[in-house]
Amino acid sequence: MSLQFQREDYMKHLTSALAITAALVGTGVSAWEATEGKPYDGETVHVLAVKSSQFEAHEARLAEFEEATGIDVIYDYVPFPNMKEALTTEMVAGGDYDVVSIMDQWVPSLQMLVQPIDEEIAGQSVDLEDFPAAHLRHGRVNGELVGLPVRGHVQLLFYRKDLLEQAGVEAPSTWDEVVAAAKAIQEKTDAAGIALPYGKLNGQNLMVWINLLWGHGGDLFDKNGEPAFNSEAGIAATEQYVSLLTEEKIAPAGSATFVEQDAVNSFKQGNSAMLPVWWWVRSQLSDPEQSKLTADQIGFTSLPSVGDADKTTFTNTWIFAVTEGADNKAAAAEYLGWLTDPALEREVLLDENLSEVVAVHFSNLRDDEVNARWGGMHSAAADALAAAEGMDFGDNWPRISEILETAISSLASGEESDTAAALNHAAEEIKRIR
Amino acid sequence: MQDKSLSYLLLVPAFLIVLATTLYPLAYSLVTSFREWDLTKQRRPGDFVGLDNFGYAFTEPGFQNSLWVTTIFVVTSVILTLVIAMSLALLLRRKGRMHTFTRVILILPFAMSPALIGVSYRFMFNPEFGVIAKGLGAVFPALEGTPWLASPDLAMAILVLTDVWHWAPYMTFMCLGGLASVPRETEEAARIDGASSLRIIFGIVLPQMKGVLLVIAVLKTIFALKMFDQVVTLTGGGPGTSTETLAFFIFNVGFKWYDMGYASALAWILTAIMMLISIWYVRMLLSERKMATA
Repeated sequence: MSLQFQREDYMKHLTSALAITAALVGTGVSAWEATEGKPYDGETVHVLAVKSSQFEAHEARLAEFEEATGIDVIYDYVPFPNMKEALTTEMVAGGDYDVVSIMDQWVPSLQMLVQPIDEEIAGQSVDLEDFPAAHLRHGRVNGELVGLPVRGHVQLLFYRKDLLEQAGVEAPSTWDEVVAAAKAIQEKTDAAGIALPYGKLNGQNLMVWINLLWGHGGDLFDKNGEPAFNSEAGIAATEQYVSLLTEEKIAPAGSATFVEQDAVNSFKQGNSAMLPVWWWVRSQLSDPEQSKLTADQIGFTSLPSVGDADKTTFTNTWIFAVTEGADNKAAAAEYLGWLTDPALEREVLLDENLSEVVAVHFSNLRDDEVNARWGGMHSAAADALAAAEGMDFGDNWPRISEILETAISSLASGEESDTAAALNHAAEEIKRIR
Repeated sequence: MQDKSLSYLLLVPAFLIVLATTLYPLAYSLVTSFREWDLTKQRRPGDFVGLDNFGYAFTEPGFQNSLWVTTIFVVTSVILTLVIAMSLALLLRRKGRMHTFTRVILILPFAMSPALIGVSYRFMFNPEFGVIAKGLGAVFPALEGTPWLASPDLAMAILVLTDVWHWAPYMTFMCLGGLASVPRETEEAARIDGASSLRIIFGIVLPQMKGVLLVIAVLKTIFALKMFDQVVTLTGGGPGTSTETLAFFIFNVGFKWYDMGYASALAWILTAIMMLISIWYVRMLLSERKMATA
């Protein structure tokens, strides 16, 4: 997105933001309020959350909630690489946690860990319409609400404004333009064109690839649930994704083993000029403790499209859910009501001492002040989320994801050279899942 | 008699701890291996399926791949560790000015956590900023920018390298212990008779070290069969499935696929392999002792 386009985009959505705000006020969307009479006074809610500065910001604001409700909330954090195992243990062995954070892809396979909360949330003035559908769908299992989105992401293409300018190119809008821009940058500077992850870790190498798959008109599965990623569209998408590394040579050396954080590090260290990644990464990119870049050097735009196809984005959602074994479900729901209050999210977004960009409420994504602080990024995300449907993940998704990421990794590393054969092999493996 | 009863009584706590932490999980996993247990659908093991889980292993390509990867890893890492440990021990046997310092330095790799070793080597082999990758690129310009961990063969080689780096020092100390029991007089006599250093090592020292080397080989084989931490942090089993060892594969089956029945069956196959090696090791040791006392 060029600066001019950013401004136009921003102005375009300013009007709709005002309209939405007015609509919300008109329909009586209210901020969270504690249940009268402190019925859960003295109860404790134990929370197991993935390590995240956003959740730490929530924890830092707990005093207000605890004072209003008399509920004591205790947080335990687990780093992302160990979170799924921690949740699995919690599900099998039972534990002390009343509320857990779960990533969207894990929800179906961990459904025994959680319980329906429709009734409890109905009493918490939570406006479910304020959540983008792509995020909220992951809070439902078999039609029942089991959790609420607290953290959600869309993908953006971050780029180095200075390097693009040096190379005399605009921010790309299609993948063909990405290749052209990357080659121009590589000719004029020492940086690689674009940092991409091809290595294996929790399906991270699928996140950009899947957009290419959609862009070529393909999908992971057909209507009958049979693998469809090995179609002609799937082969074309995979060849295009892998060729960025192997033929176009616009990705940094070593990308075949890059996981998402390696790609982010490459961009932060000034070694790559473009980075398609989740928007939450924005806060790291100009953090002087982690990055060599300054905010002025970083631009962003929506993820490139395949030719004239519609722009797409994969989404990622973390829900907070009440565990099946929770001792005090009502108190846990009260806490969820507070946690998903748009006002809390807005406060964190606008906290000058923090660098938190994540929002899962349309009211905040379209908020003027939020967009003013973050250069219109939230408005762009709101556009992407308005069109994004998200996708369902079955209970076999962790295994399917592993099979697919292995296929991509094999092709990128040269262990496999025949794209069709690798995808057919992956499809066969998925069909064989017991 | 009273003393004997007290001895047994004092053993009870240790026995109970072993029972709770080893025997019970082992027995439970054995039971699980004969049952269907899809963790996404049931909290406890389900129907009895006989040997289905074991049979599935022999038709399922992931297991066969991991068995092959593990074989390559075990053979190369055991041989390299033995050769390097023995060579270092022979060097360190000579007392010199740096003798104590070298020994202290040598223990450091073994003191490091395997997971940390994996992370460190992953950084060091990063072609953009890794110290080893950059160092090699500076000395050999043709290697500049080589994506070391992106090639299946190189990734396996680096995995073996990290494991040897981790274990060789400890095994060196075991070899030093063995060398201390080799009488110097025989070597000196051979030297006076004009035998070369190599001849002395291969003709006199190594034959007397056979027992120690056997212990090292078996222990290292068992440790290598369990290789997991560095795979997770260094290669993630990739590229593709080129470094997916059996232990890593079992973890994936259990905690990613949530197929606990199959994971338990695979874990028992791995246990059986290790038990066979251990039995062979004990038999070899016993026969060595018999020969020594004959």
